[in-house]
Amino acid sequence: MGRAIVITSGKGGVGKTTTTCNLGAAIAQLGMTVVLIDADIGLRNLDVVMGLENRIVYHVVDVVQGKCTAQKALIKDRRLENLWLLPASQTDDKDALTPDDMRKLVGELKATYDYVLIDCPAGIEQGFKNAIAGADEALVVATPEVSSIRDADRVVGLLAAQDIPTRLIVNRISAQMVKKGDMLSQADVIEILALELVGAVPLDEHVVASTNKGTPAVLEGKSAAAREFARVAKRLVGQETEPVGETSGGWFSRLGRALGLSPASAA
Amino acid sequence: MWNMFRTKPSSREVAKGRLHLVLAHDRAGLEGGKLQEMRHEIAAVISRYVPIDIEAVEIQIETRSRATELRVSSPLPIRGG
Repeated sequence: MGRAIVITSGKGGVGKTTTTCNLGAAIAQLGMTVVLIDADIGLRNLDVVMGLENRIVYHVVDVVQGKCTAQKALIKDRRLENLWLLPASQTDDKDALTPDDMRKLVGELKATYDYVLIDCPAGIEQGFKNAIAGADEALVVATPEVSSIRDADRVVGLLAAQDIPTRLIVNRISAQMVKKGDMLSQADVIEILALELVGAVPLDEHVVASTNKGTPAVLEGKSAAAREFARVAKRLVGQETEPVGETSGGWFSRLGRALGLSPASAA
Repeated sequence: MWNMFRTKPSSREVAKGRLHLVLAHDRAGLEGGKLQEMRHEIAAVISRYVPIDIEAVEIQIETRSRATELRVSSPLPIRGG
């Protein structure tokens, strides 16, 4: 039986789709079978970020409406042996799906694949409720900004109300800005949201370039963001025991010890 | 205490402070204005029992980890002999 993980954030534009794409590719690189579901009905994007937009025939709404099987709608990624995408519909709206539909679909996929990653739409309405319905756990993506963290906190509350275990990915951290006192550190974000951190992805222009090309950054080589996405993937599947690195040091080591982790080395 | 080294807080510290306050209100589902209304009403209730300075009553929402706490404080006058 596979595991379903929803990638969510509340706020739009913080990197949910990029995170889903890269974690999916990185987990597939580790040899596990992975299906990515784009749950953003009407505003699909995971297909273009993955570079699979020209191969869509069927989508998730077709599957739910019984127009085709899930297997038929899945697009196989040709770069990786064991990665598939189930795209969203671009013409329907969020009401085309229900939480029950998603629970059933995700359950069915989990029977065949090791990991099902669900790319959640922004917001906390119907699309969010659909996306989290079948999830065993959640990754909340937040950038170190007041608006992103505020929205993330709302989402964390909603996930807790559904008893969905939740961990945090801080995205687009700049060590230099943190050092200058112009950006919240990952330790600040952890303290405020009171979540376990599973990744701290640096601000990295390579991610923009790989998105332009429709190639997951983790397939492109060794950019700083790609390396961290690969580490997060290992943590998710339980292959990485090294703690999440820190951008500013000091305070985090103490927090790490308090949480029972070994002290992080300053990056 | 007077501190000759005191400088303006960094934008990082400002962001942290603002987030703590905003999240405390968000988590409690209580707007800042409503909180002040509540302060006035609580102060009025206390003053029915003890003569207090209504303006000195303070109300705060604090949040630590995911627990949120409402704190009301009021100085009580020492009874004159």
